Amino acid sequence: MSCIHRAPAGLKLGLSLTFMLGLAVLPARDSLWALVALPVLLSLAMLARLSPRAVLGRWALGMPLLLGAASLALFQTHGGWLALGLFAKSALCLLSLQLLVSTTPITELLRALRRMHLPQLLCETIALLARYSSLLSDEARRMRRARAGRTLTASRLQAWWALGNSLGLLFIRTVSRAERVQVAMRSRGGV
Amino acid sequence: MHIPDGFLSARVALGYAAVSAVGVGAACFRLRAQRDRGASALLGVSAAFVFAAQMVNFPVAAGTSGHLLGSALASALLGLPAALVVMTAVVIVQCLVLADGGVFALGANVFNIGLVGCVVGFCCYRLLCGSNASATRRVAAVGFAGWCATVAGALSCAGQLSLSGAARLPVLLPAMLGVHALIGVGEAVISALIVASVLRFRPELLENPAPGAFGARPRSSTVYAGLGLSLAIALLLAPFADGAPDGLSRVTQSLGLRSIAALPVLAPLSQYGIPAVVSGALATVLAGCFGTLLLFGACWLLAVALVRPAPRASEPPQVVAETSG
Repeated sequence: MSCIHRAPAGLKLGLSLTFMLGLAVLPARDSLWALVALPVLLSLAMLARLSPRAVLGRWALGMPLLLGAASLALFQTHGGWLALGLFAKSALCLLSLQLLVSTTPITELLRALRRMHLPQLLCETIALLARYSSLLSDEARRMRRARAGRTLTASRLQAWWALGNSLGLLFIRTVSRAERVQVAMRSRGGV
Repeated sequence: MHIPDGFLSARVALGYAAVSAVGVGAACFRLRAQRDRGASALLGVSAAFVFAAQMVNFPVAAGTSGHLLGSALASALLGLPAALVVMTAVVIVQCLVLADGGVFALGANVFNIGLVGCVVGFCCYRLLCGSNASATRRVAAVGFAGWCATVAGALSCAGQLSLSGAARLPVLLPAMLGVHALIGVGEAVISALIVASVLRFRPELLENPAPGAFGARPRSSTVYAGLGLSLAIALLLAPFADGAPDGLSRVTQSLGLRSIAALPVLAPLSQYGIPAVVSGALATVLAGCFGTLLLFGACWLLAVALVRPAPRASEPPQVVAETSG
């Protein structure tokens, strides 16, 4: 736990948003000098004792999308500088978002959002989503593995058919799980 | 379709955030008014379902794979306000946990995937099948709604990017529309397959809401509804597909954004045109109309193929649903 991990989530969220607002206000054509923020962000990542390999690897993973989106700007007059500026801006934003995400658990962020008066219902939905997404992802993975075990040489058509079936089944299980969760919440005097 | 940070101008990002906040707030208010307080469990666990379903990749072509978006599917399974809240939660968690899609662009992403996706998907679904539609009709409607929601989301995404001056619309639109018309086909097939299997095991989950709700009255003919929808979509596309987007460029100029110079970069669009028709806009409308109709027909055929004759009475459907639930 570094000091960055311990900083209040609302502060980190606000700082990231301010940074991105500042970048967005900056005209894209001459925003290359915004890259001076890069060493600051990297040193923040070091201060947070994040593994450089994980940070840079995940950062690089997002690059193709940013490059593709930025290259669409090439079809304008002086589009080269615009594309470069957009790419630099979005790469900086991605790095700062990754910094925020990897130093702040979703429960802390949720508490900050609740204090920012996000609707109660949406907060509950996000909390339950964060709680149950890993469960349901595991369930989906198990169903997929079971399917792969049964149909060793499935054609693409059969794979689609099986995928649709297992996702439909997953939804049915979701609904019955929701009923049980609701009963459990009620019986404990919850909402 | 998740816009990363850094591409939207401050005005566009904040404006769309305000619009999305109003929409999601209205959906929350509506849900609070019509449900008892404990029903939030269904919303949360359904959101987890969409989240998990988006993680499952399906094979598209050699080496590439796509995944479900789920706006139209959620609005068909849960109704419009609930689907909007669910998709908003999914987009927020994707941003704040996986760093997928920007946090400053969150409002715009909620608008594209949540508001546009759910409203378009829900309207398509409800227009095509009323309260007691046949299973075939439901499956076809969900497939078509999935395609429409994907394409409409891509359209609005292209609009936001061009409003921000990140790229020009004649370049953006063919790129976004071309890719997402293909992705939408995958979305349509998977949504139709999912709804077909839900219909087979627990058909009561797809019962429609109270009479008097939007689209509860069945349309006289699915074909007319499909025709009307595809015409509406093509007409919606027409002003964008025209080489000089008058309305939009006027809007951007009056907002003080960089004017979209109406240069003849129509080459990528011309392949959508029909040679015999001289006017570019009319040709695009006709081509879009034809493509949409073709897709509608394909969804219908898929539904006919998917929906088997009624299951045997000796086979209790509940057993399958409750195994290891």
